[in-house]
Amino acid sequence: MPVSGIVLTCGAGSADDVALRIAAIKGVEVHGVLPDGRIVAVVEADTVDGEVALVTELQEIEGVVSVQLAYHNFEDFEAERP
Amino acid sequence: MELTRRDFIKASAAAAAFAAVGVPVVRPKGVEAAEAGITWGKAPCRFCGVGCCVLVGVKGGKIVATKGDPAGPVNKGLNCIKGYFLSKALYGKDRLTKPLIRKGNRMVEASWDEALALIASKFKESIAAHGPDSVAMYGSGQWTVHEGYTASKLMKGGIGTNNLEPNARLCMASAVVAFMNTFGSDEPMGCYDDLDLGDTYILWGANMAEAHPVLFSRLIDNKLKHPKVRLIDIATRRTRTTKMADEYIAMRPHGDLAAVNSIIHVILRDKLYDESFIKQHVNFKRGKENAPYGLKDKEVFNETPADVKNLTFDEYKDLMKQFTPQWGEKLSGIPAKKIEELARIYSDKSRKVNSLWTMGVNQHSRGVWVNNLIYNLHLLTGKICKPGENPLSLTGQPSACGTAREVGTFAHRLPADMVVMNEAHRKKAAEIWGIDPNKIPAKVGLHTMEMFRAIDRNEVKCIWIQCTNPFQSLPNVSRIRKAAEARKAFIVVSDIYPTKSTEVANVILPSASWVEKEGVFGNTERRTQQWFKMIEPPGQAREDTWQMIEFAKRMGLGHLFPYSEKGFYKEMWEEYRKFTIGNGKDLAPYEAYAKVRGLRWPIKPDGRETRWRYTEADDSYVKKGEGIKFYKAPGNKVNIWFRPYEPPAESPDREYPFWYSTGRVLEHWHTGTMTGRVPELRRAVPGATIEMHPEDAKRLGIRNRDMVRITSRRGSIVLPAEVNGRGAPEKGSVFTTFFDETKLVNELCIDAFDPLSKEPDFKKCAVKVKKA
Repeated sequence: MPVSGIVLTCGAGSADDVALRIAAIKGVEVHGVLPDGRIVAVVEADTVDGEVALVTELQEIEGVVSVQLAYHNFEDFEAERP
Repeated sequence: MELTRRDFIKASAAAAAFAAVGVPVVRPKGVEAAEAGITWGKAPCRFCGVGCCVLVGVKGGKIVATKGDPAGPVNKGLNCIKGYFLSKALYGKDRLTKPLIRKGNRMVEASWDEALALIASKFKESIAAHGPDSVAMYGSGQWTVHEGYTASKLMKGGIGTNNLEPNARLCMASAVVAFMNTFGSDEPMGCYDDLDLGDTYILWGANMAEAHPVLFSRLIDNKLKHPKVRLIDIATRRTRTTKMADEYIAMRPHGDLAAVNSIIHVILRDKLYDESFIKQHVNFKRGKENAPYGLKDKEVFNETPADVKNLTFDEYKDLMKQFTPQWGEKLSGIPAKKIEELARIYSDKSRKVNSLWTMGVNQHSRGVWVNNLIYNLHLLTGKICKPGENPLSLTGQPSACGTAREVGTFAHRLPADMVVMNEAHRKKAAEIWGIDPNKIPAKVGLHTMEMFRAIDRNEVKCIWIQCTNPFQSLPNVSRIRKAAEARKAFIVVSDIYPTKSTEVANVILPSASWVEKEGVFGNTERRTQQWFKMIEPPGQAREDTWQMIEFAKRMGLGHLFPYSEKGFYKEMWEEYRKFTIGNGKDLAPYEAYAKVRGLRWPIKPDGRETRWRYTEADDSYVKKGEGIKFYKAPGNKVNIWFRPYEPPAESPDREYPFWYSTGRVLEHWHTGTMTGRVPELRRAVPGATIEMHPEDAKRLGIRNRDMVRITSRRGSIVLPAEVNGRGAPEKGSVFTTFFDETKLVNELCIDAFDPLSKEPDFKKCAVKVKKA
């Protein structure tokens, strides 16, 4: 199951709203909101394809200027889950 | 609570994201263990011309992770969404893994030896019967430097034809010609640092947020930190870029040619120019006018020295008097008041002004002229060659600069700014290649548009296409598809997936891609980046260099490639590097690139890179006290060209009342042969749509997602309408994307091209639109 670390850049004054909205989306964890309006989040889905679809969805949210990818791990972890 | 390995990977993902935004975090214990067994290697991204630095994690012979490279100065630890496709693009189920040979309507598996022997026999047959100009090679701005260099040496120095072209003809050629005829040397004086250091950014028809997202983020970071930063989006369509701009200025298609002339008019009229800069550095010239549009086969148009008239500054000012802001408004749609304002912004001494552009200006039937005019703005105001204020032509492919332009895989070029028409240049190339100078023809080869038309005319009998998809991407594509389907030429296609071009091929060769081989790319800002092979290509897929050299051996040209197996990359590099030393395009020894995240040429004698060319502040070719010196230009003076307005090749009329333009979206790249391999994504951005202005849609009774028929004089397609979507064209224009292989949208485009650069205009033709 793939995992990504992503950074969302938000329009002026909209980071808090965006963070609330995306935190409610399954597969998205908000890790921090920076004073300059950027959000650090971790995204996971069943497949890489699912993850791309999720990130594409984040990009379309009002107030989101861009979604960038810092880290993407797509090893299969399934066997190691407790 | 017990932490799983997955939790640690998530911690690692978050830590990487925090680090990339400059927030230091300590990675929790256990992260290293969770990532155990992954070997990380550096590479530039496979996709666009930005050249982001990527770390590739390999485990058990497979890529399992990628990171934005924190040590990479281009992207500082962040990739755009296309970072997801880096691995996906290599692991698609339908990867080509075996050579295939056409037998009637079927493609059958063959050995490499069979395939290469067949190709060599066809090429030999054609050369014997019709001469070397009956064969051609069509490559790519996605070729590595070594691949382009191999192709150039093989075709120009071996076979003896200049029929070698890159697909960069379709995207960068106008920029190249303008760099050459203005500055005497290709590629920019500035670099990406200007995105961090400037305060005014004027975008001419460039949707950076989608086409160059990482650079756009750098710009936005600068804007978030510095309230003075102003971003002005001059475009024919509202986009994601518009959303972040301080101002959007709507412009008619082709309007840039008039608008920039009017801005210059105001700068001259109100004496807003930098007189001492002009006196020291600039000549004024008038070129050949009333240019054709390349619509006729074999049309010839060149601007020779005999066609060029020298002007005095006063004569130039007189000529520019006709281009009043009111005249500019009439042709560009930009209000005269706004034109006055832009002239003041460009000449504001308290502002560091940058112009940015890409396909809107380059894919233009007067693309060279618009490039020239933008340079005029910077040369008249002296806002050039200074940190934070420069014109910057953005590129779209990872090595359009490094391979197509620096190696010179165009029909008229040789490496390092040299050209085949120049005897001294041919001699120099022949000397480095160890061949008879007469082997390299002085005659310019067929440019891309003519190369494919020549297939239809039965003049090009054999063509080898590598790493690109012309049978989807060329304008008026149905003409050349028909010619190919009629088997008018023997077509070889090397690629990694089946495409619209492999569909018409006689031989399909499976290629290795990206980190399945070693390579070098050169990006927009003159940055040369090297990577090592990290994984094996699938099946029998082989590198393009190997394919060409094995072919060369069968053509009796193996002696051109005397490199050892072990030292192949370094030995070829050092040979290529000889072209660059001492002429302002100096590259570093191969080993230097293995250690760093790229270096920007010219490399100084002490091995350091150059951020800004032509200035004593940074360029070692300029002595202390010389200030700015355009040392590649004749007499060290650059040219301000008088370039008037001439209309587009085709404009909307009563029968075809809409402008039609094609381009890119964020999630897909080019013809989608790599990004289209992500099925979920295909659902998210399902296929090409036709974007319309809501008022136009309403008038025609078209609602969002209705099927719409779009027809030009060349073809017709049906697409779903997108009204109020992510991009919104101005009234009277429609826009679509060219990634969708099920819709050959470029079939509608006119095959008009810039007469100087021979680059086609994908951005302007006339169509009619009605509900399907």
